[in-house]
Amino acid sequence: MDNVLNKEIKEIIEACPEVGRILDEYGIGCVPCSVGSCLLKDVVGIHNLDPEREATLMYRIEKAIYPDRDVPKPVVDATKKAAPKKISYSPPVKKLVDEHVLIKRLLALIPTIVDYIESSLNVDKDLILRCVDFIRTYADKYHHMKEEDILFKYVDENAEIIQIMYKDHDTGRDHIRQVVEGAEKGNKAQIREHLLGYRELLTQHIKKEDEILYPWIDRQLSTTQVGEMFRRCNEADASVGDELPRKYEKFIAELEEKFLQEVTK
Amino acid sequence: MSGCPGSRTIDFSEKTNQEGSETGKRPSQLRQWPIQMHLVSPHAPYFQGKDILLAADCTAFALGDFHKDYLKGKSIGIACPKLDSDQEVYVEKIKSLIDDAKINTLTVIIMQVPCCFGLAQIAKEGAEKASRKIPVKQVVVGLEGNILSEEWI
Ligand SMILES: [Fe+2]
Ligand SMILES: [Fe+2]
Repeated sequence: MDNVLNKEIKEIIEACPEVGRILDEYGIGCVPCSVGSCLLKDVVGIHNLDPEREATLMYRIEKAIYPDRDVPKPVVDATKKAAPKKISYSPPVKKLVDEHVLIKRLLALIPTIVDYIESSLNVDKDLILRCVDFIRTYADKYHHMKEEDILFKYVDENAEIIQIMYKDHDTGRDHIRQVVEGAEKGNKAQIREHLLGYRELLTQHIKKEDEILYPWIDRQLSTTQVGEMFRRCNEADASVGDELPRKYEKFIAELEEKFLQEVTK
Repeated sequence: MSGCPGSRTIDFSEKTNQEGSETGKRPSQLRQWPIQMHLVSPHAPYFQGKDILLAADCTAFALGDFHKDYLKGKSIGIACPKLDSDQEVYVEKIKSLIDDAKINTLTVIIMQVPCCFGLAQIAKEGAEKASRKIPVKQVVVGLEGNILSEEWI
């Protein structure tokens, strides 16, 4: 089993698709991953399953790869229900999770905004550009920059999961460039495609961060590092001023008010 | 079973599951003196910019690896929220540790008995009074030296 643990997940799933289905059952979604160069041992480690679940998962994977092998079945206490794990974040990471909430509020409005653009005679360029400003300033400059400049520096930046996060940030920036181009040209289809694309991308991205990446980073941080990161994030926030988050909270609240009325009209 | 759980008599001398090793010498991780919260000054050099452990007196005796797992790398203040007098002084000292000594983090380690949560309360009050904000962690130790919880508060 040891040599399988050190193999890339993509290779394993290609040779034995059943492994992909088993991982999926455990909420480990490696099959659709575009890169797939994580090692099996890291894939399992990063999800921090409880020991019994992990033992059963490893047993099933080994059985799937080597059906003829005599693998000892792990003893599982069926009376012990796996308690739903409540994620407890360190304070600096919690702040980043809280910032996701405001970003998710915009993502929730995107389908309504897209329909509104589609159904109006002229493209509301001002509305698009204000959403783009939120995305570029709050989501990207204020939030993603803290991830890239501070948080990711505390772990191995070459780890595949971090590389995927960087790639997602870049793909998001590409979508937004396309949205701006669409707004300049009055191209509704382009705006639609890329706003929805951004929504899909960021929804998955934030889910990955909240549920997997952030807890994984938190588990590696020492108390000293938590304190240091808290200070550095606060300094980064102070450098842009308190006004910035407040301004964008107000923007989202106004947008919600406008579009909730649109929906109920 | 009645009365204060903090002073109720419990005997677990029959406990046999002694996992772990007793081989090798473990050095002390204490890097300062004094340590009692009434005796320490927030202006002491050993607090400046450090990670601080605020420990309820009993925790050091309950935890087998107090030095290795919790004291290592930190400066310490100890107190008993049940028996110590003038505990307002503790709140002020915590505040001063955060604002003046600019400590990096504060870890409060307490026993599971209800009265011990008073020390976590003191830490919270001090942190709320301070104008600087720092991460505060709470660790709860079971009577038999097991860790019951460890979380940022
Ligand atoms: Fe991100
Ligand atoms: Fe994020």
